[in-house]
Amino acid sequence: MSFLQAILDGLLIGGVYAVISIGLTLVYGVMGIVNFAQAEFLTIGMFVAWFAWAFLGLDPVLAAPLSFAVAFAIGWVVQGQLIARVLSAPSVAQIFLTVGVLIVIENGSLLLFGSQFRSVTTSYQTMSLSLGALFVSVPYLIAFSMSLACGIALWWFMRASWFGRAMRATAQNPSAARLMGIDTELMYKIAFALGVGLTAFGGAVILPYVTVFPGVGGQFVVLMFTVVVLGGLGSVAGAVVGGLAVGVIQALSSLFFPIQLQNLVLFIVFILVLAVRPQGLIGASR
Amino acid sequence: MTILDVRAVSRRFGGLQALSEVMFSVSRGEIVGVIGPNGAGKTTLFSTLVGLIRPDSGTVTLDGRDLAGLKPHRVASLGMTKTFQNVALFAESSVLDNVLTAGLLHHGVDAARGEALNCLDRVGLRGVAHKQAGNLSFPERARVELARALCTAPKVLLLDEVMAALNHAEMAEIMQLIRSLRDDGVTLLVVEHHMRAIMNVCDRILVLNFGRLLADGTPEQVARDPLVIEAYLGRSREAARR
Amino acid sequence: MKRCLPLAAVIVLTALLPLLLDPRGYWIRVLTITLLFAAMAQAWNIVGGLANQTSLGHAAFFGIGAYTSTVLLLKFGISPWLGMVAGGVLGGLAAFVIAIPTMRLQGHYFALATLAFGEVMRVIANVWTSLTGGPSGLSVPFVPPSFAAYSFKLLRPHAWIALVALVIVTAIFEAIRRGAMGYRLRAIKQNAAAAEVIGVDTTRVKLQAAVISGALIAMLGTLYAQVAVFFDPDTVFSIAGISIRIALIAIIGGVGTAAGPILGAFFIIPLEEIMNDLLSSRAAGLSQLVFGIILISVILWQPRGFITVFGSLRARLSRTVSP
Repeated sequence: MSFLQAILDGLLIGGVYAVISIGLTLVYGVMGIVNFAQAEFLTIGMFVAWFAWAFLGLDPVLAAPLSFAVAFAIGWVVQGQLIARVLSAPSVAQIFLTVGVLIVIENGSLLLFGSQFRSVTTSYQTMSLSLGALFVSVPYLIAFSMSLACGIALWWFMRASWFGRAMRATAQNPSAARLMGIDTELMYKIAFALGVGLTAFGGAVILPYVTVFPGVGGQFVVLMFTVVVLGGLGSVAGAVVGGLAVGVIQALSSLFFPIQLQNLVLFIVFILVLAVRPQGLIGASR
Repeated sequence: MTILDVRAVSRRFGGLQALSEVMFSVSRGEIVGVIGPNGAGKTTLFSTLVGLIRPDSGTVTLDGRDLAGLKPHRVASLGMTKTFQNVALFAESSVLDNVLTAGLLHHGVDAARGEALNCLDRVGLRGVAHKQAGNLSFPERARVELARALCTAPKVLLLDEVMAALNHAEMAEIMQLIRSLRDDGVTLLVVEHHMRAIMNVCDRILVLNFGRLLADGTPEQVARDPLVIEAYLGRSREAARR
Repeated sequence: MKRCLPLAAVIVLTALLPLLLDPRGYWIRVLTITLLFAAMAQAWNIVGGLANQTSLGHAAFFGIGAYTSTVLLLKFGISPWLGMVAGGVLGGLAAFVIAIPTMRLQGHYFALATLAFGEVMRVIANVWTSLTGGPSGLSVPFVPPSFAAYSFKLLRPHAWIALVALVIVTAIFEAIRRGAMGYRLRAIKQNAAAAEVIGVDTTRVKLQAAVISGALIAMLGTLYAQVAVFFDPDTVFSIAGISIRIALIAIIGGVGTAAGPILGAFFIIPLEEIMNDLLSSRAAGLSQLVFGIILISVILWQPRGFITVFGSLRARLSRTVSP
């Protein structure tokens, strides 16, 4: 029974992992760069939601769109002013640019907000519903539902909207896209801003059960990377599968291993995927 | 004395059957030409022989040794290497360093340098040894690539269009070089589009089309083969007849 | 021989520096750390410069080295010198293990994978409390001063050891660069397929570079442990403090050259110290923030020549120094 419980918990959490990580894979898919500062936008999202809770009394789940908007705006500027200028530079320069952004955001948060840990309390934090013999933790369920809604919105955007299709065209062949009249610069801005916005959204949504401090993004780095590598760097669908998989793997390993080894399991998954199938389970080629 | 034996080699890329049941042998000291229209699979064949591409089926045997699953560097150490159609030099390194690196297969750095200079002599490019490889003209780069391949002391040398973009005099030089290499005991397979050169210098010719081996014979036999004429040599005759 | 003279002069002068500085002072510590980071950047240079793979995970090996020698000392009383060798072996092994799955990856993907490995080591160290002491870190136990026990009253010997380490790592770098391995690495960097075809075992050569680099950095971890006396996972496995910093030092100084990491270290570390002094006393994170802004500005200013920002300066200086 605890096996099924673990799988359920894993799926619920995994859905959130997917939303958090989609941005990373989306940016790589469209622009060919790894945004090393991606996890910092998780921090931004969490802080925005926390302050909305502390000063406006907003439930983090309701603040999630606000987190999205703030991160979207910041991402728009970062892409337009910084990243756009190194898109044709050697990869070393691109890597260290986003690393620089990482440093700035992390230390900026430290300066602005101080190093103390902050958390929220919500009325439903310790609630759980029963589903037969299983328990469904309410914060997890809400987080998952929000992620699902977000995922569906993203799916619609990518598949059905003009912008989404234009972005996919840009990802596949930028010069051809330009010839067809697509403003690829705009597409890059949208992709990047959207990507970091999603991560921030995910941050807000997990606030009920994760404590926020300037370094919190760093704690999710390996997890995000594992999700996207598992699903295939560049594949949005892959990030969904990867997220769910990582959630389940994490939950299952907490059953069998003491906490020391749980991270090790994720680590081994990461190595195996890299060694055996670097293009991931779904595997988009770039 | 067979040195290279290719049996039923096939390779598919997605929807394209690049090589289909290709079968031939090469004897020691032969100069074998490989011709065919663009896209016939000639470069794919060479890449498969040296191990850059793994065949879906079939075997390649070099001097009695099965090359299945061996990486190109192993194949090179066993005595077979190739040049690249579009020339794959190390553009930022000097000409000498390019060739020297190949010499490291069998020698230490200093001996390799000596060997490299010899190979550059052989192709007549000793004078540009210290120039940056990327700064040379295309024909010069092709010759550097030839020198580099030579420096691995190959038993079997696969030349992929080394005579592209050459004038008659240069072509004659290369053909002479090919002959002298054969005299030194090297077996050569040569992909070329220049018909006269091929017919002139090769003992035998293989004709590929759509990944299949159409013909395998002496230049005279191949020139008369109706299948070959239809597929490759004789399209203008077809047009003329109409 | 004549070209070695300026180089020898520089080494001798640097060796004399510790004698001039206040032995308990602040600047000799900065010198020691600078020399140490120059050596680390040089070891990174083997992979990042010669093999052209931007690794962001070298802290993994550094931390392994620091912990190996310290744990051996704490648990078995083994001298840090021997511990350093053990650390080097483990570091090389770790590099081997990491190199195999990451070998085929390019550019960004490679950086991502190595970053993740470094992070994982940090998490493991934080969590494996019985071995590493967990987040509270480890203290190198006090031992009566002696060379054999790598214990000194003053900082001077540490500075000299760091200088010797730098000279050794640089010598190894140069030996690789000029030897067969250097030719092979340059070939792989420019066209891996062509390199394979002419007989370069690309996998083996890259593994060798990775293992040598990892082992050297691990050994430098021991040097750090002995100087710092205390460390924790977040320090020795730090992404920003170690992995990124040594890569930046090598890159800004001139990646792929022997002088690069040295010049880079002597530029960046003292600069950081000064910035820390001026700014961090005001607020935590301010100096790092400024550093991040400077980094971004430098890249934007010269994205193609990020590597050569100080190249011309370096070239003018190194005409007297490098062979």
